[in-house]
Amino acid sequence: MKNLSRSFSLSLVAAGLLASGAVSAQSLAIINATLHTSSDQGVLEAASIVMTDGKITAINPTEVKADKVIDAKGQIVTPGFIASINQLGLVEVSAVAGSRDAGEEKAGIDFDVSLAYNAHSSLIPYARKGGVTRDVITPHGGDSIFSGLASVVDLSGSFDSNMQKQAALIVYLGERSKGSRAFTLQTLINKLDEHKTKAGKKAKKDDDKPSTEDKVMAKVLSGEMPLVVGVSRAADIIELIKVKEQFGINLVLNGAQDAVVVKERVAKANIPVIISAMDSLPASFDSLHASLDNAGVLEKAGVKVLLTVGGDASHNIYQLRFDAGNAVSYGMSQEGALKAVTSNVADVFGINAGSLEVGKAADVVMWSNDPFELSSHVNKMFINGVEVSTQSRQDKLRDRYMTDSKMPRAYTK
Amino acid sequence: MQKFAPSLLAVGLAAALVGCQENGPQDDKITINKNPYPSTYQPVATSSTLITNATVLTGTGERLDDADVLLVDGKVQQVGKDLTATADITIDAQGKWVTPGIIDVHSHLGAYPSPSVESHQDGNEMTSPNTAEVWVEHSIWPQDPGFNRAREGGITSLQILPGSANLFGGRGVTLKNVPAHTMQGMKFPDAPYGLKMACGENPKRVYGRQGVLPSTRMGNMAGYRMAWAEAAEYKRAWDKYDADYEAGLNPEAPVRDIKHDTLRGVLEGEVRIHNHCYKAEEMAMMIDLSKEFNYDAGTFHHGVEAYKIADLLAENGSCAALWPDWWGFKMEAYDMVQENVAIVDAVKNSCAVVHSDSDTTIQRLNQEAGKVMYRANENGFDISEQHAIKWITANAAKSLGIDDKTGSLEAGKQGDVVIWNQSPFSVYAKAEQVFVDGAKVYDRNDSAYQATSDFMLGQQ
Repeated sequence: MKNLSRSFSLSLVAAGLLASGAVSAQSLAIINATLHTSSDQGVLEAASIVMTDGKITAINPTEVKADKVIDAKGQIVTPGFIASINQLGLVEVSAVAGSRDAGEEKAGIDFDVSLAYNAHSSLIPYARKGGVTRDVITPHGGDSIFSGLASVVDLSGSFDSNMQKQAALIVYLGERSKGSRAFTLQTLINKLDEHKTKAGKKAKKDDDKPSTEDKVMAKVLSGEMPLVVGVSRAADIIELIKVKEQFGINLVLNGAQDAVVVKERVAKANIPVIISAMDSLPASFDSLHASLDNAGVLEKAGVKVLLTVGGDASHNIYQLRFDAGNAVSYGMSQEGALKAVTSNVADVFGINAGSLEVGKAADVVMWSNDPFELSSHVNKMFINGVEVSTQSRQDKLRDRYMTDSKMPRAYTK
Repeated sequence: MQKFAPSLLAVGLAAALVGCQENGPQDDKITINKNPYPSTYQPVATSSTLITNATVLTGTGERLDDADVLLVDGKVQQVGKDLTATADITIDAQGKWVTPGIIDVHSHLGAYPSPSVESHQDGNEMTSPNTAEVWVEHSIWPQDPGFNRAREGGITSLQILPGSANLFGGRGVTLKNVPAHTMQGMKFPDAPYGLKMACGENPKRVYGRQGVLPSTRMGNMAGYRMAWAEAAEYKRAWDKYDADYEAGLNPEAPVRDIKHDTLRGVLEGEVRIHNHCYKAEEMAMMIDLSKEFNYDAGTFHHGVEAYKIADLLAENGSCAALWPDWWGFKMEAYDMVQENVAIVDAVKNSCAVVHSDSDTTIQRLNQEAGKVMYRANENGFDISEQHAIKWITANAAKSLGIDDKTGSLEAGKQGDVVIWNQSPFSVYAKAEQVFVDGAKVYDRNDSAYQATSDFMLGQQ
């Protein structure tokens, strides 16, 4: 149980840091690290990184000056991973309706799911075990093709978590249990058209104030806000490429199991693709080409790939690093896989994090070994420059049932 | 013996009372065919194979470095260093790892296949809380592409179970993971049948909504108890019939009931229980239930809270088939710990199994076991690879009642073998070659050994 006591002391340090509130003035350096920067600098051996005021303030300076210095002793340091397309903080138990806030039947373009975000959800500390420091939380479901607006949260688990609202508009197209997919795509095109026309007209004095939908669609049409479209079939992707060309939108494909079939077109149209690396079965006629090879195939075709956890993603966010490892095993480059869970996500959603570069948020993780390996674990983790713990409710339960006591277990806390 | 004593007594008494009416010439004896859909599986034609210089995890808890494995006539003939034997095919496995074929005790492949279109939803007869009469083998579509993906992940045997809506969901079937175009062509010869049961949220939710018992956990328990009480009567009636017939009488056979055939099979120790049961207090009651009606409680599947009753499970000889980390999708899956398998495993006489219940994680049960091993070792355990492999081989075989046939690399066992490119507990591990009964059924580097489903053929 030696390791256990070490973990606990770590969390005490974290608690102390959180409680002091004075950390913002402090600077912290990690030295002798193998920095996987996820930037043009690639991997830097025996390097250092300095964090001040929640930001990265130096990479490998000639002289390290900091209030506190941690010797990484050669360990790997990466940017914190950024998960996406899940309902972290919006669900506690999937089958408990009252704990589930990500979807709304009547949701539309203006549905801002971040209003329901619970920074104290037990899923958040558990997700941190996977080195995940930030997440794109997304609405899911509803009758309309528009599920609503995604937001970016940090995983500090604090009510003062940094939140970047309205990071993307989420749409689902493709196969339908009723009706035609043509109708859903037409709905999207009509909506874009309607707002394009509106934007083209000169505002009159007696016009209503622009609605949230107007503002969102203006950002979508200007390309400022990504339009994340859940779609799988290659034929549908080709239609969407036309939509992108017609309206000049910032299109992102989500799911996209069959994007490999039209990979050259996707790459040429400069469309990022969000996929689960573990999709390997033809779940429907839309996704006959799901394969473990897809992440690597898309990467080689020049597509910007973002990895997301499939299935019950919210509870399994910590697996993101293992998904990345599997993607590497099946042909993605190690560097490409790291970018797919860090800087590529940051680029697409406009997040000032995801790489170890000066000016980025100090989301930094120190690993016992290769972060994608099953055998490795987080040794230290910082979000906005503040050390956070990876201890979760699960650890408390384990310790309760592994600690001998003459009293019933309920007294072991 | 205790189990049969009361019914024998009843039979004797009954025979004494009514015997005279049943005298006379005997009609043909009515017997129940216990194997009406027999396996037609034949191992793919095979040569002898010698795998040399590998790191071998035997499944018996041993690790042999630079060791050889000899497969002859579909069986493991020898495992050890510097074997002098020659074989038709020799594979130099220097730097590679060799394990028994991986076994998944909980799969729905073929019954909930890909593509998961409505017409394919054949995994759960949800129309009644007790459907012990259904056999999932009658739902299996052998062209499910998932079988091929699983084989590429080293799966050589798997149990297909019906879904978990019902208190009794029906019979499960164990398959050899070989390509075939009939279910019988995959059926594992002489493997015992399983019976799917389910505790907790699913049955009470599904049937409570329909306004039938159960709508509560106590309703669940009542449902099991009533069913077992009826099954005991059914068994007694058949025992009496058999005994009377043996005694030269001409008794009338009981009315055949397919549902009770299966439950009777459990009471007679021929059909093994596989019980979807998450919570500690429910597993404890299911163990008492098995004692009340004198059958083996079998394997607890999903057991997210198994770590809370690790002692009880081992004491009762129950296997627990678990995930490394699934949680949070239902209340009964809220108390997950990543060391669950390891805590269950640490007790003497335990039987910890890592299972998938998933068409995707079945493709890497090795990684699922690896996650448990590493998380546990970070928290006070000292689990080796040669031990952890048992969770997905020997212990799984024990749960299914096929441990006399497969699940370890021992002389005489079926030649179910995986050659891995490295330690199977790495995220980068890949099964390179897979053998079932000594025959190569998958080769990552040779498309001649990469099976494709009819469904995928010619798709563009």
